[in-house]
This record gives sequence, structure tokens and C-alpha cells, in this order.
Amino acid sequence: MSLWKMYSWNWRSRMLKLLVKKQLSEIFRVYFYNAKKNKARSKVSTIMFMIWFAVIMIGVLGGIFTMLSRKLCAPMAALDMGWMYYALMGLLAILLGTFGSVFNTFSGLYLAKDNDLLLSMPIPVSAIVASRLLSVYILGLMYSAVVIIPAWIVYMVTAGVNTQNIFGGIILTLLISVFVMTLSCLLGYVVAKVSLKLKHKSMITVLVSLLFIGAYYFFYFKARNMITDLLTNLTVYGEKIKGSAYLLFTFGSVGAGDMQSSLIMIALVTVLFLAMWFLISKSFLQVAISTGKVGKVKYRRKTMIQESVSKALLLREFKHFTSSSGYMLNSGLGVFLMPVCAAGLLWKGRKLFTMLNGMFGSQDGSVLLLITVMLCGLISMNIMTAPSISLEGKSLWIAQSLPVTPWQVLRAKLDMQLILNSIPAMLCMICTAVVCPFKIGQFVMMILQVLSYVFVMAVFGLFMGVIKPVLTWTNELTPIKQSASVMITLFGGFGYTALLFIGYMALPGYTLGYMRYIGIFIAVNVVAGLTLYIWLKTKGCDRFAEL
Amino acid sequence: MLRIEHLTKKYGDKTAVDDLNLHIQKGEIYGFIGHNGAGKTTTLKSVVGILQFDRGEIYIGGESVKEQPLKCKSKIAYIPDNPDLYDYMTGIKYLNFIADIFKVSAADRKERIHKYADLFEITDELAQPIAAYSHGMKQKLAIISAWLHEPELIIMDEPFVGLDPKASHLLKEMMRAFCDNGGAIFFSTHVLEVAEKLCDKVAIIKGGKLIRQGTMDEVKGDESLEDVFLELEK
Repeated sequence: MSLWKMYSWNWRSRMLKLLVKKQLSEIFRVYFYNAKKNKARSKVSTIMFMIWFAVIMIGVLGGIFTMLSRKLCAPMAALDMGWMYYALMGLLAILLGTFGSVFNTFSGLYLAKDNDLLLSMPIPVSAIVASRLLSVYILGLMYSAVVIIPAWIVYMVTAGVNTQNIFGGIILTLLISVFVMTLSCLLGYVVAKVSLKLKHKSMITVLVSLLFIGAYYFFYFKARNMITDLLTNLTVYGEKIKGSAYLLFTFGSVGAGDMQSSLIMIALVTVLFLAMWFLISKSFLQVAISTGKVGKVKYRRKTMIQESVSKALLLREFKHFTSSSGYMLNSGLGVFLMPVCAAGLLWKGRKLFTMLNGMFGSQDGSVLLLITVMLCGLISMNIMTAPSISLEGKSLWIAQSLPVTPWQVLRAKLDMQLILNSIPAMLCMICTAVVCPFKIGQFVMMILQVLSYVFVMAVFGLFMGVIKPVLTWTNELTPIKQSASVMITLFGGFGYTALLFIGYMALPGYTLGYMRYIGIFIAVNVVAGLTLYIWLKTKGCDRFAEL
Repeated sequence: MLRIEHLTKKYGDKTAVDDLNLHIQKGEIYGFIGHNGAGKTTTLKSVVGILQFDRGEIYIGGESVKEQPLKCKSKIAYIPDNPDLYDYMTGIKYLNFIADIFKVSAADRKERIHKYADLFEITDELAQPIAAYSHGMKQKLAIISAWLHEPELIIMDEPFVGLDPKASHLLKEMMRAFCDNGGAIFFSTHVLEVAEKLCDKVAIIKGGKLIRQGTMDEVKGDESLEDVFLELEK
């Protein structure tokens, strides 16, 4: 190797090391840095944050997949069909890993705000791409590992701990993580290419994502029947897969420790990874710096309309929400799902009502409670107010320097969430009334519960947004997905919904009857909502002005 | 028009602005100069009500910024050092938003937006999202939004950064015309030649303290502003 080549190699690896360090510090920044106080977190705070994340990932997600693994593993291992068990769990890991990382891949690879800065420095493009891929890899690994590692452990507990099973699981985990990265990057590349030519990117992204989610839930609801069918006809399906989907058999056999299958899959995944690497590194520069070929919209002089201050502020919030697919999908998914539910109720509502009535009819108001819980669950997905303060970001100076009160700004955020939630929620309730014969009193109580919950969620999200703002971000997805305000509001909403359900069915709230039980929740909603509303109008405004 | 009395602002233990007194009258272009971190931006942000200060008072047209923030804000326009505007809006939507907040009538806003957009040659770009704008274009948009509601006082932090020579020249003309019509401008700059030619009065700040202020002749005498500034910075 010539001296120049050696120097060049050393230099490249040094650059890569530096970029990887930067990328890692960016990924795990939230654990070590308090954006609100603009200083490093204490050790205790860092540890608490890590424990919280571990509880969610390992305790909740890992727990779910451990239970699934336990159900599938024993019958398959008994028939010496470990390959099928690993094939199924592996596919699930790929699905979850890709689902978890694909949304970040496009923005992380091509829309990172420091692309221009890094490209202007003497850093090889390949080093930038490699460092970006690392963050995609870590995300994919994190999500796929919560499926495949419990599956691996359960398999060893069931089939025995031996060298074959240990290495099989390790190789499969690594192969899946690399494959997930490859798949996410390819999907990210397609999104990048397509988005260069799209005019209404945000809305199209939302629609595609909704279709994706729809397909996901379609299979999810079919999963129980599919698993039962699979377990009763294991040998039949096993032979079918071996005959017509040999690659899937090979893939599953890696986990079961088959050496030949491992070599084949390693070779295959390596080839796919290299092809993806070639594609991404060749096209990165072109896509990252491209401004798109969408025709430039030329301004045409036309009549202008004067709006009131409050309407102007409200329209600003709507504009922000509808211009960002990330904001819409992560903070307003329920808004899109509620009309779908309303249509579903009209379509199959009577059948659903008859079915639920047969199951829970003995407990008065149970069916109506289930519908109330479903609506509250959908409303819990809508947390636009939670990241809305953080999303002001560097533009916060505008709201603060304009002749508007902090309350006018906060009120606009609140109003947007109230409008976007209450209209589709009302639509769902009207459809419920059309297909389900409920007593008028019960129906009124459902309306009061749902609307008061819409109010609580809006003020609670805004309260969290004001007390936990993150104004220093480089990617809009950071405050939308990773901020404390969003996490607390989201899990708070789901916790409330779970309590509503468990309280009635298990505690048992049904002894009070639907009217009294829901009456308690409405009273709590009103008290909590008004308390938070008053806080926002007084102390919340002071805090907003001081940001 | 603008009276700053004993303004003091601290960040923790550090005093960013220390007992600052300034008086800017109608018709004056008042330059504010000082090295990086001297306290210029802190002072300007305190004037426009973005920062809450620890001591002192700021009056705009006789109204206290602390007591009557909305009245004061409705009289002023602010252009920050970095024009971080709403990236998710188009240029025209942003200008309309500002016009709505300042209650500019439909006819007036149409006339002013087209007038200034034509002057800065960005009319064709107004339908583009701000995210697609260059720094200079964002700065032009921020300037148009400042002039849009005909304020009484304009506060600007480094307004010439990012502007092309033509736009820079135009801005200077607009500033002079605005003050000749009874307005007042308080702006910070590092371009001392511009300050020397454009300003009626100038204030020099160092370490949060005002070290010299007055008419251009009073401050610089027979020397250049640059010489005086460098001498004071020693």
C-alpha cells in the first residue's frame, strides 16, 4: 500500500470515527442534555431517563413478544420446527424494526440540517452516509431486538441451551438488524426520490402512512385466527413453505442453528447491503442537495382578505399542522382514524353492536362504555398541543414580539386541537346513535364524557408543552416524537383510557351503572380541565412569555 | 419615541446590560455599536418585549414596555439578527399573517406588499414556501413585514447581513425616508462605515455599559467612527 493510500485510509477512518461520535451523541443527546435548562443532565436524571426507556422497550414491548414467543415456541419446537418459529418471529422483528425506523430514515438521511455543513467540509461523502446509516441501524436494531431477543431466549429455555442455539440466535439477530437497515434505507431512498416530484408531500405521506397502518391493523386483528390455524396445521404449512418459499425456510433455519442456511443468508444479506450501500452512496449527494423538480409556483396578484387576530393565529396553527406529515401522523393520527371509524360504524355497526351486546349485554351500559373507551382511545392519539410550544423553535421571537398576548397564542393552539378532535368525535357519536339503540340519557352522558375528555387532553397537552418545552432542535421530529411533553401526554391519555375500561369491567365500576360511572369521569374531567385551563391563562402565560 | 432608563439585564451572575440609558427621538436613525457579546442584542430584545429585564424601564411613545406591552408592540417593528421566519408558510401567507395581527386593511396591505416586494424584487417568489428562501430573501421578507404596518419605531439587529448591495442600498433609502416622515430607527451594526454615513446619533456599548453616545459629530469628532470605536475598545 502506498504512503498516500495509507494516509487517505487513516484520514477516512478518522473522519468516520468523528462523525459516528457526533451521530451517537445526537441520538442519545436526550439522555445527557436537558434542552429546557440548556445544560447537561445530572447522573441521576440520566439514569432515570434510561430506566424509563428500558421499561418501555424491554418491559412493555419485550413482554408482549415474550408472551407471543411462549405461545408459538413449544408446539413448534416439539415438532422439530424451530425454523418455522424463527421464521415467524424473524418476520415480525423485520416488520417492527422497519416500521420503527423507516419514518426516521428519510429525514435522518436526506433532510438532516447539518448536511450542508458536513458536505462543505473535507469529509468523504461515504463517511457522512456511513455515519447516518449508523443511526438508522441503531433504531432498527432497537426495535427488531425487542422481538427477536425474547424469541431467542424463549427458544433456548424450551429447546435447550447449546452452542447451536446460542450462535443461531446471535447470527439471526445480527442478520435481521442489517436487513432492517437495508430495507429502511431503500424505502427512505424511494421516499426521497418520490418526494422530489410531489407537490402535496405532507398529505400524500399521511395517506400512504394511513394505508400502511390500515394494512398493519388488518393483519393484527387477523393474527389470532392465523396463529390458531397455523398451530393446528403446523406440518402442512411447514411442507408448503419448504416447497414454495424455500428462502423463508432458510431464513428460519438460521435461528435454529443450521450452518448451511446461515452461510446462505449471510451471503444474501451482505449482497443486499452492498447493493443498498452502492445505491445510497452514489445518489446521496444528488438527493441531499436537490431542490426538486416541482415547478416553481409564481405569485399572482390577487385580492387580499383581512382576518381577525384570533383567526390569523388559529390559521397559523392549522397551516403548521397540515404542512408537516410528521406532525400530523405523530400528533394527530386519531383525527384521521375517527372518520374511518365513523364509516365503519355505519357499515358494520349493527353487527358489532349485536356481537358486543351478546358478550357484555348482561352488564348495563357495557357496550356503550366500550364505544366510549374506543373514542377516548382515538382522542388520546391527538396531542397537537403537546409539541406545539416546542415547535415554535427559533421562530418564537415572532409570537413574542407581535402585539398579541401570550394567551392569544396559547388559545389558538388549544382551539386547533379542540376543533380537530370534537368534529370527528361528534361524527363518530352520531354514527353510533344511528346504528345502536341506546337510551337518550346514556347517549347524552357519552357525548359529555367524550367532549370533556377532548377538552382535558387539549389543556393537559398544552400544560405539558408549556412546562417542558424543547426549543433547541435541528429536526422537527425531535420535539414531535422525543420530547417529555409528548411522551407524558400520550401515555397519560392511554393510561386514562385504560382506567376508564378497567375501572368499569374489572374494579368493578359496572355496579354503579353507566350513568353514575361516566358521571364521575365527567366531573373529574371538568375539574381537572378547568384547573389546567386557569393555570394556562395565568401562570402558563407568564411561563410562555419568559421562554 | 424610545426612552431606555437604567436598563439592567442579568443572565445568572453575568450582567449583560448594566444601567443603560438612551433616548431616541422621532426622526432619528440611532446606531448601536459594540463588539460581539457587548449587550446589543439583549438591549434590542428587551426593547421589543422578548426579554424580561431585571431593573430599569423602557418607554415607547411614553408607554412602559412592562406596563403596556401590547400598546408598545403595536407601535414597533422588529427585525432580528437571524430571520427565522415560519418555514411552513409561503412568503405571501407570512406577510398576510403579520398584516392580520397589526390589523392592516386588505387594500392597504395589498398596496404595501406589492410596493415593497417589487422594490426588493421578490414578488414572483411570494408564493414559494419560506423554507425555500435564501438568507437574503428571508431578510427581505422580514424587512417588508416590518414596514408593512407602518410602525412608529423600527428595531433592527444587524439588518444588512445577507442583503445584496442593491437591497442594502434600498434599505438605507427606506430607513432615511421612514425617519424623515417622523419615524425612528434603533439598529445595531458592525458595519461602521454604514453607521457613520447613515446614523444621526450613535451609541457605543462595551461589557453591557454605555461608554459613549451622542450625535455622530459628538462621538467621532474629526476622526473616523472606526478609529474612535477601536480606541474605545482598547
